[in-house]
Amino acid sequence: MVALTVDGKEITVPKGTLVIRAAEQLGIEIPRFCEHPFLSPIGACRQCYVEIEGQRKLFTSCTTEVAPGMAVKTQNTSDEARRGQVANLEFLLLNHPLDCPICDRGGECPLQDQAFAFGPGESRYKEPKRTFPKPVVLSPLVNLDRERCVLCTRCTRFCDEIGGDRFLELFARGADERVSIAAGEDFRSPFSGNTVQICPVGALTSVTYRFVARPFDLSKADSVCGHCSAGCNVTLNARRGEIVRVLARDEVEVNDAWICDKGRYAFRHADLPARITTPLIRERGLEPASFGEVFDRIAAWSKGAPVAFLAGGRLLDEDAYALSKLARVAFDTNDVDHRRTFHGGQAEEVAAAAPMETTYRAVERAKVILLAGLDAEQEVPILHLRIRKAARAGARVFVIGPRRTRLWDLAEHHLCLPEHQTYVLEKIHDGDAPEGSFEARVATALREGGGEAVVLAGERLAEHPLAADVALSVAHRYGARFALVPRRAGDRGALRAGVHPALLPGGRRVAAEDERGEVEALWASVPAEPGRSTRQILQACADREIGVLFLVGVDPVRDFPDATLAERALSNVGHVVVQSLELGALAVYAAAFLPAAAWAEREGSATDWEGRAQRIAPVRPSVGVARPDWEILAEIARAMGRDLGFASIDDVRAEAATLLAPREVSPRVTAWTGTGKPQRLGDMTLFTYPLLVDEGRLSEGASELKAALGEEAFVEINPEDAEKHGVADGGRALVRTVAGEAELPVRVTEHVAAGALFVPFNQPGLAANTLLSGGFSTAASIAPASSTASVPEVEPAGVA
Amino acid sequence: MSKPVTRVLTANWDDQSVFGIDGYIAKGGYEGLRRALSMTPAELIDLVKVSGLRGRGGAGFPTGVKWSFVPQDTGKPTYVVANFDESEPGTFNNREIVEREPHRFLEGMAIAAYAVGSHKAFIYCRGEFLWPGQVLDAAIREAYSKGVFGDSMLGGGHALEVVLHRGAGSYICGEETALLSSLEGYRGQPRLRPPFPAVEGLYESPTVINNVETLATVPSILVNGAEWFAKTGTEKSPGTKIFSVSGKVERPGNYEVPMGTPLRQLLEEHAGGVLGGRRLKAWTPGGSSTPMLTDEHLDVPLDFESVAAAGSLLGTGAIIVMDETDCIVEATRRLVQFYAHESCGKCTPCREGTWWVSRVLSRIELGHGRPEDLPLLDDLGRNILFKAFCALADGAVSPIQSSLKFFRDEYVQHIEERRCPFTGKGPGVHGAAEPEGVVVGA
Amino acid sequence: MGVLSPELLELAEAIKTRYPAGRERSAVMPLLYLVQSVEGSLTREGLREVAGLLGLTTAEVEAVATFYTMLRTRRTGTHVVSVCTNLSCALRGANEVFEVAHGAAGIAHGEETSEDGLITIHEEECLGACDAAPVVQIDFANHDRVDPERMRELVAALVAGEIPAPSRGTAPVDFRHASRILAGAEEPS
Repeated sequence: MVALTVDGKEITVPKGTLVIRAAEQLGIEIPRFCEHPFLSPIGACRQCYVEIEGQRKLFTSCTTEVAPGMAVKTQNTSDEARRGQVANLEFLLLNHPLDCPICDRGGECPLQDQAFAFGPGESRYKEPKRTFPKPVVLSPLVNLDRERCVLCTRCTRFCDEIGGDRFLELFARGADERVSIAAGEDFRSPFSGNTVQICPVGALTSVTYRFVARPFDLSKADSVCGHCSAGCNVTLNARRGEIVRVLARDEVEVNDAWICDKGRYAFRHADLPARITTPLIRERGLEPASFGEVFDRIAAWSKGAPVAFLAGGRLLDEDAYALSKLARVAFDTNDVDHRRTFHGGQAEEVAAAAPMETTYRAVERAKVILLAGLDAEQEVPILHLRIRKAARAGARVFVIGPRRTRLWDLAEHHLCLPEHQTYVLEKIHDGDAPEGSFEARVATALREGGGEAVVLAGERLAEHPLAADVALSVAHRYGARFALVPRRAGDRGALRAGVHPALLPGGRRVAAEDERGEVEALWASVPAEPGRSTRQILQACADREIGVLFLVGVDPVRDFPDATLAERALSNVGHVVVQSLELGALAVYAAAFLPAAAWAEREGSATDWEGRAQRIAPVRPSVGVARPDWEILAEIARAMGRDLGFASIDDVRAEAATLLAPREVSPRVTAWTGTGKPQRLGDMTLFTYPLLVDEGRLSEGASELKAALGEEAFVEINPEDAEKHGVADGGRALVRTVAGEAELPVRVTEHVAAGALFVPFNQPGLAANTLLSGGFSTAASIAPASSTASVPEVEPAGVA
Repeated sequence: MSKPVTRVLTANWDDQSVFGIDGYIAKGGYEGLRRALSMTPAELIDLVKVSGLRGRGGAGFPTGVKWSFVPQDTGKPTYVVANFDESEPGTFNNREIVEREPHRFLEGMAIAAYAVGSHKAFIYCRGEFLWPGQVLDAAIREAYSKGVFGDSMLGGGHALEVVLHRGAGSYICGEETALLSSLEGYRGQPRLRPPFPAVEGLYESPTVINNVETLATVPSILVNGAEWFAKTGTEKSPGTKIFSVSGKVERPGNYEVPMGTPLRQLLEEHAGGVLGGRRLKAWTPGGSSTPMLTDEHLDVPLDFESVAAAGSLLGTGAIIVMDETDCIVEATRRLVQFYAHESCGKCTPCREGTWWVSRVLSRIELGHGRPEDLPLLDDLGRNILFKAFCALADGAVSPIQSSLKFFRDEYVQHIEERRCPFTGKGPGVHGAAEPEGVVVGA
Repeated sequence: MGVLSPELLELAEAIKTRYPAGRERSAVMPLLYLVQSVEGSLTREGLREVAGLLGLTTAEVEAVATFYTMLRTRRTGTHVVSVCTNLSCALRGANEVFEVAHGAAGIAHGEETSEDGLITIHEEECLGACDAAPVVQIDFANHDRVDPERMRELVAALVAGEIPAPSRGTAPVDFRHASRILAGAEEPS
């Protein structure tokens, strides 16, 4: 620790602390532009000058580390420092245009604020200013007004150090220096919006916010992003009740200071015309009704008929808990599931029972990171940034999967078919792979990394039998931390709450009498037999075995990896009750609709992939008569003659808290005899996962985001396979699976494993779930679209 | 006291045979390297320290001390970088050393490499030196073929690989950390120190960067001894130095004299005096980045201490001479424009400050000066000096402050008469509008 | 088909090996010279090609290219004439030499390059040859003590398709050739 004084005030800080940080801790603000706590120091703007006793020149406090006994004098106590700062602001404003009246930054602008507080009242500059054409469109999301730029390089440093997408750079030199992209190469990065937020002037601005509002027009609320399980802290801004902007909120334990572009720019879905804000009942068509009327119908339909519940990833923790309890207490069923396809095994139980075992911090500090079945950049972007941060600090990163991720500059990738991932993990576990092989390298690294290694398994890994448990075993074997990383924002909360046929709140197994008993102590009764999974529920619906299917924030026709089964299920089931923000394609199936409140309109908690629950606050009241999901579910219970005991959200939280305290999961010996020689699914294996910017419901209305980052559907194939099957890059191919076929543009790339075809899950032009039969990978064949030769029938070779 | 040695670096400049390696060796070339290789690196560094040799690139840092800062046993390779970016206005001694006797410089670089444990040396040659670069290219090949460079320098066991890297037109790349940045393939912008290049320089590895003239001086020290070197020049600035004399002199050129030689002697005995017998008005001791001095300073000895005491800096020893017919305002304007043009743009005071001062000086020069311009220039000079990321900005301030100090009345005349008294240009004469464009940026 | 021929691509790989493994980014400057030597200036394709060779984004390469005076992204003539107008040369009449050069090459005021694309003339900063002021470089070959009359002669020679003999060394054939030499692609004669 180092003791020093700043403006005469004493403080002790850790060695290596920058003077500017030490000052902040004393509440002393030193003006700055280029400095940002999450970017490397650069000392470019020269605004943060301080005087250090005994030194001739002024020092930039953002690049100077504290030293024992240092006596720092800021502009508050040093005329030299103050004059230096005043002069610097005069220089900074020289070529700065008088844009304030039309600049989006006005009112929340560090240059305005600091010029006012620390600068000269007037400028002596009476010469022509240098001008640039403006605005420059860097991408459909980001504009650049070059004249306003103070060349602080926060944006270029962000792109280089954090995002790794080096599209923004400085061109030219001297007063001609300017931020730029290479012509024709858009600022196409999923993190581009962060540069807008950290720009200390109005040079980089969001297209979505240009001329939209002034800060004093906005109502603000602290919330958590609902687009994925990253748990990013955000601030919602609304103007006259309409959400107009989402900003990142600093939280070093979660998202540092960043959010991805989807979280930032896809905020309109709750305000679209498709939003339904009153209950509906199907008479001749779907007609408005009261909540009471809908509940009465539900009670009637459920009398004596089997009922099942499917949830999506949109529920907040309290909603998930209420749903979990409702199914068991009011409907006496364990047929409740939120997952799409999961063989989680013990890994799932651990995730449900023990939150915060592996955190962002653990990833950041890890010396070795192994990812399997997870494309973090597309699925949980801020986790991707954290992995990059760890890699920059020297961590070794290994990725197992069928497709190379954009950690390619920092990680060693092992491309293999989805069905072979388990086998690769086994070889790593056993530690006897041939020297020099990937598996041997990983095993050695994990062994040496010990407690500072992290194994991250994506939910797609878990769809293969045993895979998640093998990954967990790898972690245990080498003393590494483990996390099963879900994709959707509500996934972890739903799992923890027991929206699961075989698990109750806290990961307690339905089939284990004592564990079930702990829940029954609060819930009165829980059926003893585990229920059916999503797939089994849909099958049962298709077989007309279910009377009422509740779809709580989920559209299986879009989401479930078997569109055919989903459609049959919804057609054949007795009644479909949809509880959501809109109906979309479900309109034709719904017997009733219950309007739910959006995250932006209510309180609640969201649990991220770490298991961390974070509170959200509303930025506006609910639209129409939409209500929080947990409230609706409590009312449904009442209509069934049961009382869940939830008069307020605090009641839900209090009860859930008692069941959701971290639990030990007794390790069971997971003996497996190995999955043996890897079997292939078929001639080719088609695999899919959702890209970050897709046709997902939460991204509806985000036209600028889609213009910047959206893509039409395509199929990726390895060069050798392309040649073998006669398809060419840029051409079109017919992809066929047992479930269906599609004609798609072809991209030949080395970034896809041999024998694999990648098709994104939900891009314009293809809903890939029409090609799937229950999992995210399946046997497939491919041939050129123009070929008159018949496309070979697909013969699945092993267990799909 | 014996007569001071006056020609060491330039001793063979009239002998064309030393251009090639055979002729160089015939005249005793690479003997210094041979001797160095027979010493331990520690002994070698000590020798150079004792000699008192100071860097000739402008900073004047003791060379032996610089070499001693390089840590050994870091597990990383050590690099030597020769700074052949010579771009300081008025400086041209490095160029002629290379054009006439390239091996003297290469020998010095090889000795430096051995001293610090480096097996790879880069020569950063400014892009505009097309021919000197070709000379070096050929000389390096000769050196390899003669076993000077390669797996075992002169059979002594120390391997050295030498790479010629060309710049592409940027004055700031002569600054140490900017040079490293450029050599690494980035924009030539200076970097934060610490870490210092000796510890983390090129490719984050220990690095020594030396000026060409500095390195060319080293072989003579090895051959003749540290005490011999220290006998010439002054106590704190030993040795000889090549001064580049240009501007209004009869015989512009490179002249090697002992450190401490007064300007008058250099001017009259070597450069032939002021052109056309005119009167000396102003001169720079060390290139445009050093404050101007006047005819009052004709007897200032040219060494680091004496020039500093006179209020300027020895810098690169580039003497630019102006006479009574030259407009100081025009000269200052042109120099500040140079700095504005070469500013890398990284930091605010340099980027915006040189832009501003250029515009003000242009106006004054062409008769559009305002009374408030002079106190403004005084203030701007203070606001830029020592406030920027690197010393380029300080270099820009030198002509501003020194010209205002010694020739303020000339500025006043421009403003009051609304024209340049030397060229006659001004609004009163031609009705010319205020100047628009100022050339900045690449 | 990129800017560099297969032969030049081989040379590009050889250039990369001048620098330590993992530090090939250092080759960006010689590779930019190499590409410039083929096209006479740096085009979008050239920048992209260098980026591809080094695993960089085009923006990173363009950032470097636009920093330096001798890497030209603007329209460039077959010959580049650099007239130093810094102090030492200005003191010996360089400003007039520059004006004369412009006129002799028929380049419009405010422009750099002649209409026919033969000659680019620009002011340069100190070229390190002040003993021979005023200094002019033609494709980076030095011409000493160039007064206005000599400047006219030099331009006339270029217009006539001749390459005036420089004061030291041998003159490159043109700007492309000079770029090639600067890439280190030529054996010294």
